Amino acid sequence: MTDNISRIEPSGQVSLLAVFPDLGPAADAIDKLRALGISDDQMNVISGVPVTEAMLGRPSQWTNVPRLAGGGAVLGFFGGAFLMYGVPYLYPYPIQVSSQAVIPGPPTVVILFEITMLGMLLSTFLGVFLDSYFPNYRPMEYVKEVSEGKIAVFFKCSPESKEKITKAMTALGAEKVEVAEVEQL
Amino acid sequence: MAEYTDAVHANVVHEHKDHAKEHLREKHLMLDPLPRGKMNEMVMESMTTTSWKFWVVFGILSAIVAGCLFYVWGYMISEGLGVTGKNRPSYWGLFLVNTVFWIGISHAGTFISAILRVFKAEFRRPFTRAAELMTTFGLVQAGFSVFMHLGRVWLAYWLIPYPNQRMLWPNTHSPLTWDLLAITTYLLSSTMYLFLPLIPDLAMARDRSTGWRKTFYKILALGFRGTEGEWTHLRNAMTIFAFAIIPVMFSVHTIVSWDFAAATRPGWNSTIFGPYFVVGALHSGMGAVVMVLAIVRGTMKNMKYFIRGEHFDAIAKLMLIISMAWAYFFFNDYMVQWYGGDKWTHQLLHFHEAGPMGWMWFAMLIFNIAIPWAVLWNQKWRSTPWIVFAVGLLINVGMYLERYIIVPVSLSINRMPFTWRLYYPRVEILLGIGTLALFIWLYMAASRLIPLIPVWEVEEGQMAHELKKFGRETVVSVSELE
Repeated sequence: MTDNISRIEPSGQVSLLAVFPDLGPAADAIDKLRALGISDDQMNVISGVPVTEAMLGRPSQWTNVPRLAGGGAVLGFFGGAFLMYGVPYLYPYPIQVSSQAVIPGPPTVVILFEITMLGMLLSTFLGVFLDSYFPNYRPMEYVKEVSEGKIAVFFKCSPESKEKITKAMTALGAEKVEVAEVEQL
Repeated sequence: MAEYTDAVHANVVHEHKDHAKEHLREKHLMLDPLPRGKMNEMVMESMTTTSWKFWVVFGILSAIVAGCLFYVWGYMISEGLGVTGKNRPSYWGLFLVNTVFWIGISHAGTFISAILRVFKAEFRRPFTRAAELMTTFGLVQAGFSVFMHLGRVWLAYWLIPYPNQRMLWPNTHSPLTWDLLAITTYLLSSTMYLFLPLIPDLAMARDRSTGWRKTFYKILALGFRGTEGEWTHLRNAMTIFAFAIIPVMFSVHTIVSWDFAAATRPGWNSTIFGPYFVVGALHSGMGAVVMVLAIVRGTMKNMKYFIRGEHFDAIAKLMLIISMAWAYFFFNDYMVQWYGGDKWTHQLLHFHEAGPMGWMWFAMLIFNIAIPWAVLWNQKWRSTPWIVFAVGLLINVGMYLERYIIVPVSLSINRMPFTWRLYYPRVEILLGIGTLALFIWLYMAASRLIPLIPVWEVEEGQMAHELKKFGRETVVSVSELE
């Protein structure tokens, strides 16, 4: 069952969406919205292909993924170090195999490398989940045309400016401008 | 009259230009864009349109998996490893041949998806996922083969480092422990790397399906909408994965090679085994990729639009280069062993070429070197799917023979002639067929559930490509969008 609910903002603002067929009109629309007094943090762009901030003239998006990856690598490294340097001394007595070192050098490099990489890649993967709030099955603002190649620009504005902005967006090539609805994805 | 001639000439030139553009469009997927909605529809249709032939093949494979893999494995567990052909001196038989073979197959996915992504090779776009799936499913077969080799598979957890009542931790001096860590790291990494770029396509499938498929895609798409933030996180993660998974890929097969090279056996104790194994893995892996692509193109609806002659041509070029690299490493290894003068190594080399399994040695060289070199220099042949499929199949046979020569054939000869004995596989053959059937079964099942074509990547590529005129020539131009 599709759960469509009209978006009512507590601030009294309305949430609108404008769907554009292409990048160019969407970028122009963002400039126009700014000129009409809508700040960047009140806009969001949804697209079916990765569109860079530079293409749309939007501020850079913050991401924690590289930092989390680095953190995971450090954790992995220490995990590997524990396995190599700590574990042999967890025995009642270190097991000496012939003349081999209790903590062998080259195998230590191998284990440290593998577990460091595992830590880094796992945390990169989890980083996407954390930063994107995945999995997220709550109703969200969305239009299915996005996966058909359209660009949707969501923005908040005062009810008084709604008509003016709608006209401006339509003039810039918006295929539709309407109140954004939250949808159960 | 002169005006008329000029007009005719202009018309001919115009027609010629149109023809050239049309030719380029037919040849290159990136220059032949369709609306995104149409491409989505084609990919969804390819997943949901299933002929009776598919189910017949699927049924036969299910029976083979049940019979050859699970029943025979159960029989082997109940009877013990005595039902295999393993015996002194060949304690490593077909199971480890299969392990090395499947890990090799798994290398192509990462190679295509990560290395070609790092180098921004545009031809990769439509088939990265098809190759990544091979990595994950190939590693599953490698894991099965190792577990079979263990015999008492229920004790496999002894390899996992954890504090236990016996106060015995795995011996990290052993390459087999490194194997566990490397293969686990690679399996997890490649599965995550398969999943991340899949999320936008799962969201596309969610938007276009109903019933159980809708629920399935909704769960897997995780609520992806395509916001700027989501794309940024995804793009960053994919870049990190593309760079980081390459050394992991190299480490996996290098460590597999150390299982052999770290032993002081004639024929195995070679410093060049690491890169030799990695190149061999890529050789068989690329061969397997073209086989899969040819089958997908030939059997799945709408795939002829996405997978074209240009893709076979590009992969076949890589196959040719990798074949040359493999020949170089093979000869390098052979030369040093031959020149070394060790009596037992000479015996082994002679046994490889002139022993009862000598036909394998020659077949290996013909399939891995002679045939690719003889065929893949020709662009027309490189662009013909069935020819490249045949070469890929022969390369895989050749690489399987190479692993067979390295494992049981080389183990037949050692420094104690009284133990020399040929290895004859028994239940291992059925179990090997079972893993092959399971690989194909998993791939067929995935082709019904997962969009094999990364539509968003194809669209992104098509946005970046255009035809540009340099003087009188129309050429393909690519913009860097990332």
